Amino acid sequence: AAEPWPENAALYQQLKEEQILLSDNASSLAVQAFLQMCNLPVRVICRANAEYMSPSGKVPFIHVGNQVVSELGPIVQFVKAKGHSLSDGLDEVQKAEMKAYMELVNNMLLTAELYLQWCDDVTVEEITHPRYGSPYPWPLNRILSYQKQWEVRRKMKAIGWAGKTLEQVLEDVDQCCHALSQRLGTQPYFFNKQPTELDALVFGHLFTILTTQLITDELSEKVKNYSNLTAFCRRIEQQYFEGHEKDSSATAARSSKRSLLR
Amino acid sequence: MAAPMELSCWGGDWGLPSLHPESLTVMAYAKFSGAPLRVNTINNSWRAPKGDLPVLVSEDTVISQPAKILNFLRKQKYNADYELSAKQGADTLAYVALLEEKLLPALLHTFWIEAENYCSVTKPWFASRIAFPLSLYLPGKMSREALNRILLTKGGPPLYSLTEVEAQIYRDAKECLNLLSKRLGTSQFFFGDMPTTLDAFVFGFLAPIYKVCFPRVQLQEHLKQLPNLCRFCDDILTCYFRLTVSGHSPAGQDTADANLQKLTQLVNKESNLIEKMDDNLRRSPQHPPRKLTTLKLAAGGEESSPMSRLSP
Repeated sequence: AAEPWPENAALYQQLKEEQILLSDNASSLAVQAFLQMCNLPVRVICRANAEYMSPSGKVPFIHVGNQVVSELGPIVQFVKAKGHSLSDGLDEVQKAEMKAYMELVNNMLLTAELYLQWCDDVTVEEITHPRYGSPYPWPLNRILSYQKQWEVRRKMKAIGWAGKTLEQVLEDVDQCCHALSQRLGTQPYFFNKQPTELDALVFGHLFTILTTQLITDELSEKVKNYSNLTAFCRRIEQQYFEGHEKDSSATAARSSKRSLLR
Repeated sequence: MAAPMELSCWGGDWGLPSLHPESLTVMAYAKFSGAPLRVNTINNSWRAPKGDLPVLVSEDTVISQPAKILNFLRKQKYNADYELSAKQGADTLAYVALLEEKLLPALLHTFWIEAENYCSVTKPWFASRIAFPLSLYLPGKMSREALNRILLTKGGPPLYSLTEVEAQIYRDAKECLNLLSKRLGTSQFFFGDMPTTLDAFVFGFLAPIYKVCFPRVQLQEHLKQLPNLCRFCDDILTCYFRLTVSGHSPAGQDTADANLQKLTQLVNKESNLIEKMDDNLRRSPQHPPRKLTTLKLAAGGEESSPMSRLSP
């Protein structure tokens, strides 16, 4: 556990252009932002079966030395065990707040993204099904996407989101963005001068929402209403992603399929 | 403010007005904001509970989830949050999300899935409050829903067995309790001297863990090591639920009670200073008997013993 960070650390996600979905892209970008903020180099490798390679079934996951860790929470702890941490300077109450806000983002933004991708019929037909199974031949592509859709819908039903309409989900997103905007205020990062894992997580989700083209622009409009949040995303993009043209998915997000941040 | 609104919810026991966390949250919020609610607890009658409780019926509208009920009350001008800043409102949302993600699974597990607890306490209690044929079916259904929810949200790989999931959710819950305790610190409520929505939610989740006597109580033991959270629950019970703490069913409440509660709120606000001075005296009867031995100590000694019990 006391080994230094190796040069060939790799982050695995699904194929950027054809396959990856909104929620997975957001999670992946959050982890990439976090690692950039810690100054730990990592290569982004895109594989069609990234979801199946992952130990928890969720992307992204990182392969460091001979260990494989997936999802932002465990990755933050793993990186901390190696001696790098962004939240050491916070006191106990601030750490509690940071954890609470991270849960808010997971609870509302991530769930809303999943809802939009898998429970909104129009989006499912036109975007999700074609993208999710694209690396596989028929009929495997349809089977895999239906299976995943069934899984996600079961989860939505268990937590009570199945009964919500799209308008209600967008309202929740608006409430969440309002809360984040209030908390950020005029500061550069959520805990003033230094970025933390909360900033990485919020950046991952908001940037992806702002730069992904969906059926309608309603979701990104909700975020655009809050100018300090868009400025926050722009600032992090400029600071942590500008110099890395090759592998950053933030740069790739500016390619043809997605609408621009500016 | 015209016709009183009716709230249907699960009843209470062990000194609580309700055993159900969501019902408790709504009742606490109504007390904090002074909303006149007529509370109907579900008892052994043929008016079977339809769907999820708590349910608020106001003239023609029927509203069912706690968040929606609270929104409705706020629109009716019963707002416990009007003194909060926007940032505190944002914090409220974040902490409620934390409670739902980290504490609720363990709460559901303690009530509905832990075999000893379920069979000896939860199932008989709920079954006794529901009319006959439904009482055979409904508790089982609630238990299955709780298990489903936990497995779907927390049970993905690499946690393959229920015991590993259980270990993880209790770890999360204990961490959540620690975070809440640190956030509350020494103040009376989460945002100063007046209780708000966040206090209602925290009370709704913590009070059942704190008061209900289960055979398997690891969460309750952890909670008892955090004296400021215990004091928080006790304060709310004595200040806001005084009329029902003796175990009477709250079905007899009417608007006169609401006025009394408002008066109590004002008196509480003004007597805060006196209460702070009387803090030592007030705290002692509410703690478990083992602390009585420290009653005779000087104020300094009394302060240090709760602190040393705070788990890291």
